Amino acid sequence: MEDVQVVAMLVRRCIAGDSAAWEEIVQTYSRRIYNICYRFAGSGDDAQDLTQEVFIKMYRTLPSYDHTKGAFVTWVTTITRNLLVDHFRKSKQDRMTDSIDTAGSDHEDAQPLSEQIPDPSARPDAHVRSREVGETVHAALGRLSPELREAVILRDLQDMDYREIATVLKVPEGTVKSRINRGRAELARLLQRTYRQVM
Amino acid sequence: MPDQTSKGMLCNEFELLLTDAIDGVLSGTGLDRFHAHAQVCRTCGPLLAEADAGRNWLKGLTEVEPPASLVMNILTSTTGVDTQRLRVTERRLQPRISWWERAQASLFEGLLEPVWGMVRQPRFAMSFGMAFFALSVGLTVAGVKPADLREVSLRPKAIQQAYFHTQARVVHYYENIRVVYEVQARLREVKRNFAPAEPAVKQSQPAKQNSDKNDTTQQPEQNQERNYSQTDDHVILASAAVGPSPCVIDRSNPDWSNPDRSNPDRSGVDASNPDLPVVSVSTDRRVV
Repeated sequence: MEDVQVVAMLVRRCIAGDSAAWEEIVQTYSRRIYNICYRFAGSGDDAQDLTQEVFIKMYRTLPSYDHTKGAFVTWVTTITRNLLVDHFRKSKQDRMTDSIDTAGSDHEDAQPLSEQIPDPSARPDAHVRSREVGETVHAALGRLSPELREAVILRDLQDMDYREIATVLKVPEGTVKSRINRGRAELARLLQRTYRQVM
Repeated sequence: MPDQTSKGMLCNEFELLLTDAIDGVLSGTGLDRFHAHAQVCRTCGPLLAEADAGRNWLKGLTEVEPPASLVMNILTSTTGVDTQRLRVTERRLQPRISWWERAQASLFEGLLEPVWGMVRQPRFAMSFGMAFFALSVGLTVAGVKPADLREVSLRPKAIQQAYFHTQARVVHYYENIRVVYEVQARLREVKRNFAPAEPAVKQSQPAKQNSDKNDTTQQPEQNQERNYSQTDDHVILASAAVGPSPCVIDRSNPDWSNPDRSNPDRSGVDASNPDLPVVSVSTDRRVV
């Protein structure tokens, strides 16, 4: 995904004070970091704030990055994950106990999830249905425990390999695999239960 | 579950290979054994199905488009690209504020704002309302009218006069209270009872001193209530005003009833004036 030499040069230019290099880094990684934050925090506003915090922290600690120790994306993801954990601890939102009906998305008008789930026979527009299914999955993802959620986000949404995930999460690869399996199965069970209630 | 085995594969091993099988990395005999275990095992079969379904759900999620202003906000907050321009714009928009207004604002924000914020709470507002209501009711009951307050003069002389006037009223009211009056009357009575004792002692003091001067035998003083008439044997005879002093008959003398016998010269009848009728009345006069 990234050319190590190009990224290392960008970082060096940033450290030297080149604002164009920093802008290029922001343009390249902001979308990825925003998506991680959005999937983890569940809110667009929180994701925007967290993304800004990630880049502020990155800007301050950029000289500490050593390209020989790991990829830049892993370093960035580690910063993001640490901030997300801090945010989770501060907000103290135990999403495991939230009702799936109350866990809505910011992109909708705060409707209960059971009202957002589409009736396939009643909705001919596949695009709209796909979008609403996406919202349902997003809401169910928010109900996973933070450990399982971050593992499946990094694996299935960010396509990181197990070794990188293990580096970011600071756990062994076996633990990463176990968390991913449990996270996927838990998500499927939640969605299955939701659809069964609606049907 | 970990100890369960079927088709030569433990459930532990199945779980370790689960991610590889879903990702499509597993192949060959390992994949055959994996699927064979999944078909037989009641725990691992559903787990494979759920994990696969969950992965498919997640893969169906598309990337979210970040807000358009995100990059600009990040650049502004990190390098401050537009900070200088924004500062100039803000400076133009800000009106000139005098030092007095700034001091007032800082005082209000620093000291009064927390207090005002607390006061604005409904419970405090209700408390203040109740206090105002109680005060107004109390003033109404006491007969205080707001119109009277307008006429109150705040000159020092008037304040002093009002103070003394109020003090006099309070003292007058206090002294007119029945209980206070009765207590004061009792106190005066008690004082009166104790007061004569002191002058009596003072009056008896010189007499005692005199008697002490005369009494050299240190004899106890005689009783004040003695009956002088009983011990005193002198009989005072009434007589006419004309003539010499009445004669005194000494009853202690056994011959007093017959004065002629004892003293022919002084027999109760003035011998020098034999013409005058003699009225002899003996009285037992008591000297109190």
